[in-house]
Amino acid sequence: MDTAGIAPLLSMTDVTKVYHAGQSLFGKTGSPVVALDHISLEINPGEIFGLVGESGSGKTTASRLIVGLETPDGGRIQLDGQNIVGLKGRARLEFTKQVQVIFQDPYQSLNAHFSIFDTVCEPLIIHGLGDRVARRVRVCEALETAGLTPPEMYLERYPHQLSGGQRQRVAIARAMVLEPRFLIADEPTSMLDASISFQIFQLLNRLRETFGVTMLFITHSLAAARNLCDRVGVIYRGRLVEQGSAQETIMHPRHPYTKALLDAHPRFGSSGHRRFGTLLLTERPRPSTDHCLFYPRCGLAVDNTCNLQAPTLKTLDAGHRVSCFLF
Amino acid sequence: MTDANLPSPKTGTTPGMAAGRALPHWVDRFLGGWRVYRKNTIGRIGMALLVLFALMATTSFIPQWVDPMYHPMTGVDPQISYSTGPSLRHWLGTDFIGRDIFSQLLAGARIAFMVGISSALISILFGTTIGMVAGYAGKHTDLILMRLADMIMVMPTLLVVLLLSALFGQLNIWIIVLMIALFRWPGVARVIRSQTLSLRHRPFIEAARVAGASHLRIIFRHILPNVMPLALLYMTFRVTSAIIIEAALAFLGFGDPGTVSWGMMLQWVWKTGHMFQAPYWMLPPGICISLITMAFYMTGRAMDDVLDPRLREEETTP
Repeated sequence: MDTAGIAPLLSMTDVTKVYHAGQSLFGKTGSPVVALDHISLEINPGEIFGLVGESGSGKTTASRLIVGLETPDGGRIQLDGQNIVGLKGRARLEFTKQVQVIFQDPYQSLNAHFSIFDTVCEPLIIHGLGDRVARRVRVCEALETAGLTPPEMYLERYPHQLSGGQRQRVAIARAMVLEPRFLIADEPTSMLDASISFQIFQLLNRLRETFGVTMLFITHSLAAARNLCDRVGVIYRGRLVEQGSAQETIMHPRHPYTKALLDAHPRFGSSGHRRFGTLLLTERPRPSTDHCLFYPRCGLAVDNTCNLQAPTLKTLDAGHRVSCFLF
Repeated sequence: MTDANLPSPKTGTTPGMAAGRALPHWVDRFLGGWRVYRKNTIGRIGMALLVLFALMATTSFIPQWVDPMYHPMTGVDPQISYSTGPSLRHWLGTDFIGRDIFSQLLAGARIAFMVGISSALISILFGTTIGMVAGYAGKHTDLILMRLADMIMVMPTLLVVLLLSALFGQLNIWIIVLMIALFRWPGVARVIRSQTLSLRHRPFIEAARVAGASHLRIIFRHILPNVMPLALLYMTFRVTSAIIIEAALAFLGFGDPGTVSWGMMLQWVWKTGHMFQAPYWMLPPGICISLITMAFYMTGRAMDDVLDPRLREEETTP
């Protein structure tokens, strides 16, 4: 997708988030953990942007920062050019109407004491939308959109009476009932079976087509990202290492880490065979100087370059950007 | 869409009439809990005793209605002016001015329930609210509230109430109830706080935050139902301690002179020098105090089992 000339719906500029371990009693002991390190990305209206990375790479932190569950230590996050960091009161309420999240674990993200109707209806009550009848209609519509049909059958049920896939559909209905413009799907299928995952992907795709909702899709699987996303960003230890169209990035990966991620995908009939082999089997010691974060694990790293300075994002072609000295 | 259609579609798709589900959720949960509770011997004994005492409390109005001389406070048998042993006329005998001990015992059950349950309710109300706020707000609010709780927790309740009644003279029974409640909330607050801490970062709370829910809404709509079972469990233990404190106060002579509680009865036995002369007078209230506290405690233990996640058919597990 050509991104030139379109104002992004959501933009993150130099966003940084640092966690301090063992902060409580004895001051800030332990080394701080950098969850996000000067991340900049832009998500255009109507697209599905995939954020790919291994666990602990900061994917989920990014989503939490966007919806305001945490505040960044630096940088700007903007929706439609408006700052959305540290919103309070009415402004926050308005913002939550536009941005919603589907959480990772459908077993944890639904309140066990709420019926499905209560769960999906709650956002409407919070925002004071509609009267009793109108709310009921909207809840039913949302459930139907999420593929729970007939919706009346689910209204009075409780989460423990549903399967994982159904719960995730309820979570999707809850997110969609406010008709948000921006939806964050934080590994929505990592707790589900493969076949059900595929249905959820189809559902998300349908949401984009029918409602034109912009999506940030967070995943650890490049296959899922390719299936669903227009553009992807690959994140490693809190830094964006590669960014580009999903097709281009996944078919022609440039960054050694992206290649390693692709290698990690199991394929039929090729056990043990690696296409790229960019991942070192034994890690190098971490250099004390400024360095490329992937250097300790990178098979292609060039000494005296990669271990002495950190690379920046370079634009290669048609929006494909890589942060590596090899390019 | 196979997973969405897994539960076989049933007839009756009128909105609001969920097919095949007649019982509301909480009734379902209650019955589930009751099934576990019923298997518990201790719980059964405790419950039986509680039913017995409840029966005593509810029938405490009958004696004075049968004959005014059976009134536990003001009714005096015109033919008796000293303590007598059990007889047909007075099943458990009379006290030093000829009042019926059995009707006093029934009235005492009423007072015990009243004091125990109301002061437990108040302390649970305080403890749960403060615990939830402290756990949810964290930081300075948590620190201040919990230090306050620590300070109150280390105060010996009985001593402080004794001092207060020495200062202000005779205390009304409701003041005593309030006092006990105000000194017994910190334990509840601690437990509720730790439960809230574990709930605070659960995804369903964060989902509510993302939906725009206010802090109050999250505390009372999302956290409260999840800590409620624990709060109810603690209530049974608070009832026990409230009854004991009230009895001790009354026995020491600081009770409400206008009520007939079991502690009060013991005080009359002791003050009139009948301690070892009239076992028919001294034993019943003593046994009742022991049994009712034991009954509440047993009920609490059994409820503990009901709340044990391993014995519960829990809904949060897959």
